Amino acid sequence: MSLLQVEKMTHYFGGLRAVHNYDIHIEPGQIRGLIGPNGAGKTTIFNLITGIHQPTEGVVSLEGKNLVGLQPYQIASAGLGRTFQNLLLWRHMSVLDHVIMAQYSRMTYGLVGAFFGTAKRKRQETEAEEKAYRLLELVGISGLANQNVLNLPYGDQRRVEMARALAMEPKILFLDEPTAGMNPEELLQMMEIIRQVHKEFGLAILLIEHRLKLVMELCEEIQTLVFGEVIAEGTPEEIQNNPKVIDAYLGKEAID
Amino acid sequence: MEATSSELSAPESGLKSKIGRLFSRVPIIGWLFGALVAVILEQIVGMPLALALGLPKIPVLFGFVTVLKKPMLVPSTMLFVLLIYFLPIVIIARLSLEPANRLAEKLINFSMEGSVLIHLVLLYAILHIWAEVSDYRLLILKFTLIAIMVTVSLNVINGYMGEFSCSHPGFMALGAYTASVFTVSLFVNDSLFGQALLPSFLGPFLFPLGLILGGCVASLGALLVAIPSFKTRGDYLAIISLAFLFIVKSLIENLEFVGGPRGLSSQPDWANLPIVFAWTVACIWIINNFVRSTLGKALNAVRDEETAANAMTVNTRRTKMVAFMFAAFWAGVAGGLFAHVLRYVNPTTFGIQKLAEVLAMVYFGGLNSVYGSIVGAVSLSILGEALRPLELFKWIVIPLLLILVMIFRPTGLIAFKEFNVKKLIRPKQSPGKEV
Amino acid sequence: MAFFLQNLVNALQWGSFYALIALGYSMVYSILMLFNFAHGDIFMVGAYIGFGVATGLMVLASLWAFTLPGWLILVLTILLSMFLTSFLGMFVERVGYRPLREAPRASAAITGLMIGIILEILILWGMGTQRVSFPSLIDTVTYNIGGVFITNKKIMIVAISLSFMLALHLFIKKTRWGMAMRAMAFDYVVVPLMGVSINHIARMTFAIGSALAAVAGILFGVAYPVLDPYMGIIFGWKAFVAAILGGRGSIMGATLAGFLLGFIEIFVAMIFPSTLRDLIAYSIVLLILVFRPYGFFGEPYSAKLRL
Repeated sequence: MSLLQVEKMTHYFGGLRAVHNYDIHIEPGQIRGLIGPNGAGKTTIFNLITGIHQPTEGVVSLEGKNLVGLQPYQIASAGLGRTFQNLLLWRHMSVLDHVIMAQYSRMTYGLVGAFFGTAKRKRQETEAEEKAYRLLELVGISGLANQNVLNLPYGDQRRVEMARALAMEPKILFLDEPTAGMNPEELLQMMEIIRQVHKEFGLAILLIEHRLKLVMELCEEIQTLVFGEVIAEGTPEEIQNNPKVIDAYLGKEAID
Repeated sequence: MEATSSELSAPESGLKSKIGRLFSRVPIIGWLFGALVAVILEQIVGMPLALALGLPKIPVLFGFVTVLKKPMLVPSTMLFVLLIYFLPIVIIARLSLEPANRLAEKLINFSMEGSVLIHLVLLYAILHIWAEVSDYRLLILKFTLIAIMVTVSLNVINGYMGEFSCSHPGFMALGAYTASVFTVSLFVNDSLFGQALLPSFLGPFLFPLGLILGGCVASLGALLVAIPSFKTRGDYLAIISLAFLFIVKSLIENLEFVGGPRGLSSQPDWANLPIVFAWTVACIWIINNFVRSTLGKALNAVRDEETAANAMTVNTRRTKMVAFMFAAFWAGVAGGLFAHVLRYVNPTTFGIQKLAEVLAMVYFGGLNSVYGSIVGAVSLSILGEALRPLELFKWIVIPLLLILVMIFRPTGLIAFKEFNVKKLIRPKQSPGKEV
Repeated sequence: MAFFLQNLVNALQWGSFYALIALGYSMVYSILMLFNFAHGDIFMVGAYIGFGVATGLMVLASLWAFTLPGWLILVLTILLSMFLTSFLGMFVERVGYRPLREAPRASAAITGLMIGIILEILILWGMGTQRVSFPSLIDTVTYNIGGVFITNKKIMIVAISLSFMLALHLFIKKTRWGMAMRAMAFDYVVVPLMGVSINHIARMTFAIGSALAAVAGILFGVAYPVLDPYMGIIFGWKAFVAAILGGRGSIMGATLAGFLLGFIEIFVAMIFPSTLRDLIAYSIVLLILVFRPYGFFGEPYSAKLRL
């Protein structure tokens, strides 16, 4: 049984079919890629699996546990972490608080602890903080822990998102264009972070990317999505040489 | 981060920075000593001094009222305030700098809780002695403490969670009426509920129970706003909460057994200063604990970006529900205390006027800040009393002030500041070691 | 049946006040994405301005010893008061809202509330605590149509309200300014780039909204000839509820919801004891919003108070 199983997932926005019969099976520790032109439905697939939208049809399960119909926070707690393409950060919170907040589901001290500051709360909050610092270290921004996120440059905000997603201790990580808006130098750093994260936590990763260089280098297998349907699937070489992909996607953009 | 304003201005030359340097190292406990001496001094020599200066009596509110009423008395009032409050506080605070810092250090090393307790006892002693001068002062003090509770709790919804809730007076009303019905029906012989059911010596012991009961009823009422908040936010939720306020008010007006529009009176006189003070401290302590926990910070996450909060394992529904019910609980307790301080409530008390008042306190003091709410509640309460001689124009001065604050500091005076008790009471001496 | 129709007529009149005021809320909302909480008090001040203008005209007429017919005074009063009140609206916009356009919306709401309080106090100070009665400009004529009593005033009030609503509708749909307003409502950011000044549009919106509120105030004075400084609070908040109920920023919705609120209130008072009016009316409002969380014509998008 795969770690994440998605079968025949279909979604309609009103009458518009956004995703059609999407299948993916991800094994533990795999890095998979999802490419496709703008509006192909890549982010919609993320939103469907993570529970932000409900699939009209289809099966989604994580380690055999059904995810369809659950609230996003339940899916997240089950082990599915993600980042957002358009950086959904909390504008009034510090970097450190972002990473602590993603450990919400592991705070078991309850309201009594929150109201009266029990020893259990102190312990769990301290643990969360220590873990947050470790993760910030990992993504290379531990020096910015007490900054407000809005004061950070764009590239560092992406790192905050990464650390935040990792703090949930996910079994599988969804990265929605983790290098969007980054300069080449930051891009290389982010690639290094993704590799390191993958090595250190043995995470499975599903990656949406526009920059083909990143996808081709990192991913074992790549799906190409056009108009909500997978038109090609295979290793980077297979994808690069697939005429359908070249026609729909690669033909228009140079590989950098 | 550690730098307070006085520390920042320290390198500047000039008189201001000199004074700043002199006093920036006075710990809170030093100021408390000063204030204690001042109020004791007032107790002992206040009256003769006032008479000697040609004042009819001790100025009740630091002379604000007198100044506005009788401009002729301005110099002597100012002299009184200078002699009784300003000079003693400043001198004692400065003189006790060394021992106070040593004491603060010792206390904090001995036990954090004990140190906080001692500070609170000192603060209570100051307030108690200050309020002993006149019943008017006592009343203002109690109302101010209650206003702090209401403001801090409203800040949980409007500031920390960022919803514009208008239902707070409604929660207060629920608490006020529940607690009143509890005490009046059980312990008072009156026309509405008949004979007392329990001996009155039990009353003061069961009074907290009545307040908690009031808080719980307010919490339950809050569900009516919290559940729609799962799907609706912003303006529509504001209207739902406003409708809730009108519904509560109208409901009470139509409930004959609690006196309908005539109101409910003869509450026993159990809300004395120590009780109100203790509840206020409990309220601030618990709310401050809450908003600094991850469970409490989840409110900020829901406010700033709900989708992200949900995707980062935050149970947003639970968070919203807790926020509304928790804030409503404290509003209910505050309402219960309010009813027992005034010993009379009627539905009109909890209308739009009250709403404007508490909203003003929250937004004046500062959003997302317990500290700000305390400042907002205290300053607007005192200002409201101090400007009383202006009569009608008081209601022009205060709104104008608030408009100015909104224009120049749109989130309020002290917004987004953490209320850290530990930082507040620690010693401020030995800069080489601390900073 | 006659009883029902009678209440229907009353509800129409009652609803026209709400609708006229709600329009002002809605217009400002659609342009600036915030509610003008001083609007209820602008309605109140408008009524007092109407009172002043009408009294002034009557005094002038008697001084110069010629008689103006009541209807003419009324028409002049409405026009002059609209003109004067629109300046109040523009003033409120300039002082209370323009400096706060980039601030959190809650702050602007607080400013509006405070301006409202100031307006009340100013009127209270100027006019005293006594209520004033609006001069009776036209004589009441009652028609009995199959047991339903309709006065000429009621017909006039409903007719004037409806015609102003129609005029507003035409203004927004047909004129260049209306077009600019709609564009602004559609996209707050782009329109200033297209050479339309947002300040100008905002000023105009406040002016028109306030002028309509003044009409409502005068019509209210004609129907219930007593004015008091707190009428703005009572009516304003309810009209605000109507504006929300109609769907944020929807002119059509505000009109319909205004009338709907009028109907609810009148018919609740018809069936139940009148003390239950607010209780039931607001419970209905709450229910409607629970099941239609975006009002009748509102757009379901996540409205957040920008902090």
